[in-house]
Amino acid sequence: MAEAIVKQAFDLEKVSSQSENDLFYFVESDSVSSEKITALRYSYWKSVFRIFFKKKINWFLLGLFAFILLMSIFFPLIFPYDEMENVINTDSYFLSPAVAMSKYGVSLKWLLGTGPVGNSIFYGVWASAATSIALSFVCATINMALGIVIGAVWGYNKTLDSILNVVYNIIADVPYILIVSVMVYIIGSGFFPFVIALTITGWLGIAYFFRTQVLIIRDREYNLASRCLGTPILTVVKHNILPFLTSVIMTILATELPGYISYEVFLSYIGIGLSAETPSLGQMIERAQTGFISYPWAFWAPVTVASAITVILYVLGQNLADASDPRTHM
Amino acid sequence: MKKYLLKRILFSIFALFSVVGIVMVLVYSLIDRSLIFANDPTIAKKANNELEIYKIQKYEKYGYLKYYNYDTYIASKYQAKYGDEYTTNAEYVAASKAISNEQTYLSNPDVQEFIKTYEADRFTIQLLPQKKKSNGAFLSKAYLIATKDINPITRLFKYFGEMFKFETIHDVEDPNLTDRYVRWEWDKRSNMPALVGSGTTHKYLIYFDNKFPFVHQNILKINLGKSYVTYRDVDLTEVFAQATGEALFEQQEYPNDLGTGVTHETSYDFHTVTYNSAELSPIEISMFPDRYTLPTQQHSGLSRMANSFSIGIISTILVYLFGLPLGVLMALRKDKLADKLGNFYIIFIIAVPSLAYIFMFASIGMNIFGLPYKFATAEVKFMAYILPTISLALPAIGGLMKWMRRYMIDQMNSDYVKFARSQGLSEGEIFSKHVSPNAFIYLVHGIPADILGALTGAIITERVYGVPGVGALLTDAITKSDNSLIVAMTLFYTTLTIISLIAGDLLLAKYDPRISFTQGGN
Repeated sequence: MAEAIVKQAFDLEKVSSQSENDLFYFVESDSVSSEKITALRYSYWKSVFRIFFKKKINWFLLGLFAFILLMSIFFPLIFPYDEMENVINTDSYFLSPAVAMSKYGVSLKWLLGTGPVGNSIFYGVWASAATSIALSFVCATINMALGIVIGAVWGYNKTLDSILNVVYNIIADVPYILIVSVMVYIIGSGFFPFVIALTITGWLGIAYFFRTQVLIIRDREYNLASRCLGTPILTVVKHNILPFLTSVIMTILATELPGYISYEVFLSYIGIGLSAETPSLGQMIERAQTGFISYPWAFWAPVTVASAITVILYVLGQNLADASDPRTHM
Repeated sequence: MKKYLLKRILFSIFALFSVVGIVMVLVYSLIDRSLIFANDPTIAKKANNELEIYKIQKYEKYGYLKYYNYDTYIASKYQAKYGDEYTTNAEYVAASKAISNEQTYLSNPDVQEFIKTYEADRFTIQLLPQKKKSNGAFLSKAYLIATKDINPITRLFKYFGEMFKFETIHDVEDPNLTDRYVRWEWDKRSNMPALVGSGTTHKYLIYFDNKFPFVHQNILKINLGKSYVTYRDVDLTEVFAQATGEALFEQQEYPNDLGTGVTHETSYDFHTVTYNSAELSPIEISMFPDRYTLPTQQHSGLSRMANSFSIGIISTILVYLFGLPLGVLMALRKDKLADKLGNFYIIFIIAVPSLAYIFMFASIGMNIFGLPYKFATAEVKFMAYILPTISLALPAIGGLMKWMRRYMIDQMNSDYVKFARSQGLSEGEIFSKHVSPNAFIYLVHGIPADILGALTGAIITERVYGVPGVGALLTDAITKSDNSLIVAMTLFYTTLTIISLIAGDLLLAKYDPRISFTQGGN
């Protein structure tokens, strides 16, 4: 022990005999490398999709949805659906797949039999699925966009807060289903009246939810700090608040998207659905419901497709919401 | 607390007024008013001017416009002048014939007076000229009419102004009726006391009987207008509250025979008698001791509201009975098999359109358990309630499971539970004394909504099974364009939602002492 200390002292003596210039040198300050963080590179959206695609079920559901989407877009283009083609032949009504094929020959068209006016169920389902998917995406886009933008402003603006609170408290007293049915009744049926009916107050609930979320995180320390540093509110909302709420947005989207398809089915069922020229799943279900015991194929085919679309959208949305929560990225 | 409640109720009334106002203005200004003649059998029998007059009279009845007829105008004018024999008076005959001539009618002083009076009030004056066939045969007489559209805003105020009607002893306009009173009497039919009135429209103002809801009143009448397509000319309150089904015949004593034991087979509900100002028939005199001789019929079924409510309330009980324990079970077995199965069910309920699974329940119930499907064709009426109740309960159980599981897990992971565990409390104690009451706080708010929601009925369920309930009424009203029914349904649904929200808040404050309405938040 003592020996080592003596040796060290000797070494030091040796070092001190060297000139100072040999021992020290100046390090230039490097602005580029000082910006570098030595932790692993992190990209938010890359991580989201990494987590999302780690689950096998998501690949499967995404594939299934892509299949339904492509079929509903391209199938009616190649094999146009004409609901009224067999309307004159009353003996073509409600034929089971086997009977239809023996009558009209084996073809894809009669794969699911015929419906209430001799229409091909298989063709009809794809033509209708396009309408339902389009409706749900258009409504969800409008409601989410309005809801998020207005909700964010609502959370910050005091005058708007007092006005919108009154409006919200009034509208929240009325069941949504009542508003939608009365609106469809008043403005008439059709694709765009439908969109108007579903969006005229649909954004309000989302906006209110967002307002509450914004209020919760608006006054957190990091946002106060941003504001103290003079960051404009718009930037705070865009960079601090909205990213924080991404997974919340996804969760809402997961319930909104299938919701609109359900509304279309519901409204068509009670008889105020889309206009007769627009094929939709709800209408197919409505027209086949009288024969739901005797002619199950005509009823259950559109029901199955509608349910498949809604379940896929819901589960995918939920999983995307899980994946977009940064806490799962570790 | 009282101040808060008062403020809340005032705002709710304002909200109700705005919602009904908006719907009313939209419905009555945007929907084609001629839709009220759909399903009207009279319209096919009328032609020419009589058709026009019939239409205008109906529009007036349903509150679309104000209408005055020249014929009634001069009739009342000359009656006032010459008494009851005015019809033979030459002046009157001349006045009433004046409008038959299209060219010269404007020169008649009575016509000029009529036009001047109503034009001053901004009425539109219209002459429907006499119509004759080409061979000169008479088709229809001439009419001179004044009409004015009622704007929806005026209509709205009128609607709310006339909504509540109290019965008074001056209701009956019969100068021969001198004995007017309201008093408690012993009702021999039910052997209970009853509040009986004379001079009021109804004889029995408060009475008891063996029909749901057992205590009945006729003092306050809520006037929601009349249905005009679904139930032609029936008061909407009656549509809601009157029994459905076939007429029910029972052995009953006539009011004159009360106490004698002499019974007759009749479908009348003698407690509902109203005053009859017309001349009484000998049969009526033999049956009734007084002029209250107009009873309504009794029906075998429940009323729409009772139908919806009995289905709704039983399904609500089932929901809490099964949903709560299942939600707790899922939370306790988190990530195990029970939780996974439960989650699968919840996803199914949330994502699949409700129509799809209601039909699925229907086909399972029918094919496997042999339950009746359509309400009207069920042989045993009781059995017809089973499928709708279950179809209503199953999805709601899923919803309750989802929330109960979420709240339980949140509570079980909170610090105070960890602390309780470290203090050595048993799991059972933690569960029953700490986790459950706290998790339940979130659910308390929704209980009044569930109970009152049972009254509004279930739109899809009732339609699928053909239940004559309130929920099916809205869809009926919309598909048949029954505007006044739509407005009434909006009012009904909105009122119940408002009440249940307020009741939910109050219940929450009662259950959770931390919540108070007196302190303002910041």
